[in-house]
Formats: sequence, C-alpha cells, structure tokens
Amino acid sequence: MSKLFSNMTTQKKLGLLALILGFFAVFAGSPYETNKITINAKDLALMAQKDVDNVSVQQVADWIIKGNFDFRIIDTRSPKEYADYHIPMAQNIQLSALLNQNFYPTDKLILYSDNSEKATQAWLLLKAKKFKNVYILKDGLNAWKDKILFPKMPANPSEGQMAEFNKIKEVSKFFGGTPQTGKRGEQGQKKVKKMPKLKLPAAIPQGAPHKKRREGC
Amino acid sequence: MMAPFYKFGLFGSEVSLIVAFIIGIGFGFFLERAGFGSARKLAAQFYFRDMAVFKVMFTAIVTAMIGLFYFAWIGWLNLSLVYLTPTFLWADLVGGLILGVGFVVGGYCPGTSGVACVTGKIDGYIFVLGLFFGIFAFGEAFPWIEGFFNAAPMGQITLSQLLDIPYGVLVFIVVLIALGGFLLAEKVEKYFARKDAEKAL
Amino acid sequence: MDSTLDTLSVPKTETKKKTKERTAQPYWNPYLSGFGLGLVLLAAFVIMGRGLGASGAYSTVVASGVNAIAPHHAAGNAFYEGYLGNGTTSPFKSWLVFEVLGLLVGGFISGALAGRIKKTTEKSEHISFKMRYVYAFIGGALMGIGAKLARGCTSGQALTGGALLNAGSWIFMLMVFAGAYAAAYFVRRQWL
Repeated sequence: MSKLFSNMTTQKKLGLLALILGFFAVFAGSPYETNKITINAKDLALMAQKDVDNVSVQQVADWIIKGNFDFRIIDTRSPKEYADYHIPMAQNIQLSALLNQNFYPTDKLILYSDNSEKATQAWLLLKAKKFKNVYILKDGLNAWKDKILFPKMPANPSEGQMAEFNKIKEVSKFFGGTPQTGKRGEQGQKKVKKMPKLKLPAAIPQGAPHKKRREGC
Repeated sequence: MMAPFYKFGLFGSEVSLIVAFIIGIGFGFFLERAGFGSARKLAAQFYFRDMAVFKVMFTAIVTAMIGLFYFAWIGWLNLSLVYLTPTFLWADLVGGLILGVGFVVGGYCPGTSGVACVTGKIDGYIFVLGLFFGIFAFGEAFPWIEGFFNAAPMGQITLSQLLDIPYGVLVFIVVLIALGGFLLAEKVEKYFARKDAEKAL
Repeated sequence: MDSTLDTLSVPKTETKKKTKERTAQPYWNPYLSGFGLGLVLLAAFVIMGRGLGASGAYSTVVASGVNAIAPHHAAGNAFYEGYLGNGTTSPFKSWLVFEVLGLLVGGFISGALAGRIKKTTEKSEHISFKMRYVYAFIGGALMGIGAKLARGCTSGQALTGGALLNAGSWIFMLMVFAGAYAAAYFVRRQWL
C-alpha cells in the first residue's frame, strides 16, 4: 500500500487529497454557518464596565453637522418607531438582521434605541462577532430628544451657561427641534413636544454616503 | 486574527495595494508557468489538442474551493465577508458566450494577454488594443445596454442556494467532476494526438 | 495514465531563432501550475476577502483615457463613473490595477527564467501575420465586451466565482466553453 502511494506522481497525490477532502465535505455542513460565536468574556465585561464604547448625543450631533460621515447610525427599534422619527442618516436594522448585513468588522457603527437596552444588546452581538468600532449612543433617543431636539434652558443662567445654551439652540434648530427656553412658563413646558418632521434640512444628505466598495473583476 | 485579514482591519487600503501587487506576481507567474502566454496553447483547448486550460482552471478552482471550505469550517475564515459577484442571469449568459467566442478568435483573455505581452507576443499587444476598444465600445453603448446589463438580478447566490444542494455535497460533486474531467482530458488529448500523427503520415 | 511534463506544449513560433537565445524550456505540468494558481487565489481570499481579476484594470485604463479626453462625457456615463470614483483618489489606486501590474511582473519573471521571452506572433502556418492581427483585435474587442457584460473575465468570474460556487460564475464558465467550442470551427485555420 505504501509503495503504491510513493509511486504516485505529485498530481495524483493532490488528486487523492482532493478526493478525500471533498468526500468529508459532504458531512461538514455549510461553511456559511456563522451562528456560533466565541466571546472573550473578561474583555467584554471590562469594556462594558468602563463605558468604553459609549458616545454622547452631542458628539453625534456635532459629527452630523460637520459633515463627518465615516460612520453608520443604526436604529435598533421597530420599523414603526423608526418611521415616526429617527435620527437623521440612521438605518433601521433589527437585532436579528444585524448580523446578516454586509458590514465589515472594521466599520464604525453607532447603535441607538430609546434608552440603551436594545442598543446594548446589539453591541454585545457585534462585539462577539469581532467588530472593532461599535458604539452605543448613551441614553439613546431619549437623550437625543432631551439634549438636542428640546434642550432646556437652565433656570437662572449665568453668562457662560447662556452662551452654551445659545450654541445648543443652533444645534437644535439644525435638526428641526424646538429649544425650550422656559420663558413661556410652566404651561409652555407641559405642552406636548412635537417631534420634528423627518424631512431634513438640505445640509444633511439623504441616506448614508458610503464609499461603494468595488470588489468585482 | 480572523480571515479575511483585510476586512478585520489587519492593514489599511494603502498596504492592500502592495498585497495586490504581490498576489499579482504569483498570478502572472503561474499563468506563464502553465504556458498561458501562448495563444496557440490556449486555443488548442478548443480543438481538443491540449486540455491545459481546463486542467489549470479546474485544478485552481478545486484547490481554492477546498481551502475556502475548510478554513470556513474551522471558523477561521468568515466566508460571508468574501465578496461574491452578484448574479445577473442574462448578462452572465450572453457575456460568457461572447467572451468564449472572443477567446478562441483572439487567442487570449485579459489576464493571459498581459502575460503574453511581457513575454514578447505581438499578437498579445494587438489583442490588448482590441480589449481597450471593446471596453470602450461597451462604455459608449452602456446607456442603451444598461437595462440588459442589470436584467434578471438574482443577487449574491451560490450554486448551493440555487440548486438547493448542501454546500459540502456540491464541493464533493465539483471535485468528482474535476477529477473525472481530468481523466477524460488525458484520453481526449491522446486520441487527437494520434489522429494528428496519422494525418501527417 | 501518467502525465508528467506535457509534451504537446513546446511552443511553436514563427520567428527566426537567434543563436544566442536560451532554448525555451517546456511548460510546467498543468496540474501543478493549477495548484499554484489555486493557492494564489486562496491567498487572495484569505488576505483580502476577494478573488483575482483582470478586466477591471483594463476598464480603469479606458475610463481614465475617456476622462482625460472628454471629462464631461465620462462624468455622465454610469459605466465610466464606476471606474473613476468620486475624484478624491486616483482611479489607478485600485486593487485590480496593482494586481495586474504584479501579473505583468510575475509573467515576465517566469518567462525570463524559462527562456520564453521572445518577440513572436502566435499563429499556425496557414494564415498570414496580417490575418492573425485582425483576428487578435476582433477577439480582443469581443472579449472586452463579453467581460464587461458578464462583470468579469476568466480570472474574475470563472476562477474566483468558480471557487466560491457562485451561481452566476458557473453559468458564465459553461457559456464561455460553449461559445469558444462553437466558434472554434470557424477560426481553425488560425490555430491548426
């Protein structure tokens, strides 16, 4: 038997190897099965504890205004909630669909939900899939509403605070929000805050302007 | 580090160009090794005189296919991150047909014509000129062809999904087809070699 | 059924032999060459997450040429636009362009090592040089059209897609062989 093997030419040996490997492939299942994950629990726990992957609403607002679009914003809520209102440029992707997307593990992704729960769950899934640049919008849409769309002016503002608030007012207006100046008194503040229409100011491009990855022949 | 390395951020797009160059060297090297810088050798495939095109192509496909399968199976390679050209049924069918005709008429394909040029083949250079012209013609006609170009889009789909056969089974089938094809190719070559020798007498 | 070095494959050429030239060595065994090629392809998959290609690089050249001569026209054409990008980087900084440059180098190295660099024209004794050149040009043009229509050529679609069991690529590959065998009869004088 061994003599037969050593007498074979190289290509016959390769052919035999291919045959054997091909045969075992039949029993091996689909190579596209990417449902299993391995987690480095310690690293993830540490990151979660230190809030390493958080990003604030002010930061995101700033990036959008500056036109710095090297990231994707992902809304992890239901399609209906997304349709009602979403942060400009955000894509609506459910948790179950998140891993089927054509994202690269190096893509910069910012996840948000109403608070942070769904976003955090999504963060864990993506991190386990070895994604490197995944961030959670701290306090999610609630913070976005509170701080960006409907920022409240502090009660007795100092000069510095007033200047700060004026800057925030501009940001708010950019996104179609209504700054709460509190001058209308208590009644004004109890009014239902209207969410700005989804029609964005011309300054923000519709849809994510991402480089087309040309990988064909 | 998981594969594909580039998509996991091991290096940036600048370095990827160097990687491209090095991989290209390997590509061109083996093409020339096989004799694919020669139009006569390439065209001989389609007269059953020399089945090297079939042998080289299918050996390469089987090698890479098995490699991909097992790297993915052990979880080292994320196969869904490897780019799959979307299938457009009509464009693929007709494009393949035209390309086949061009192959036997011209004697080269884009890759092999490059190898032919650097090894001195004048017809290789002229073929490349033809290539440029053909691409230019396509580009100019594109507004009218665009519909056909994008017709019957089937997305990124594998044979396994299309035929509803498990991937691993398909791998084995391809190996069998290749090995069977090689045995047949050897016989066919010998047959025509004998026939040509007889004719010469 | 032993096939060692392929004896059918010593190249026949039509030019005068220079006495100083190295004799061309026989080609490598196609199975071993194919294995080497397969490993290169696998390396591309593993390192880059993409396969090989060739026609795309030629398209970049054409698109750049059109852009240089008639930029407005190129800008309005979706096909050229795809290869020119958005203007922030040179279209030549493309993976395929660099890969094809490497292909030229690699082909040259192999040819030089084997003494196969020679100014020649590949054809049979039965047609003239001029006819061969005409056929080469026409063949190239058809190949260019076919490759762009099919979104790839034998390297990009057949080899790469073949290894990935891509449905469109296998359909493409079948049609390439079909088309070539069908047309072979009509140009047999060129080769046999």
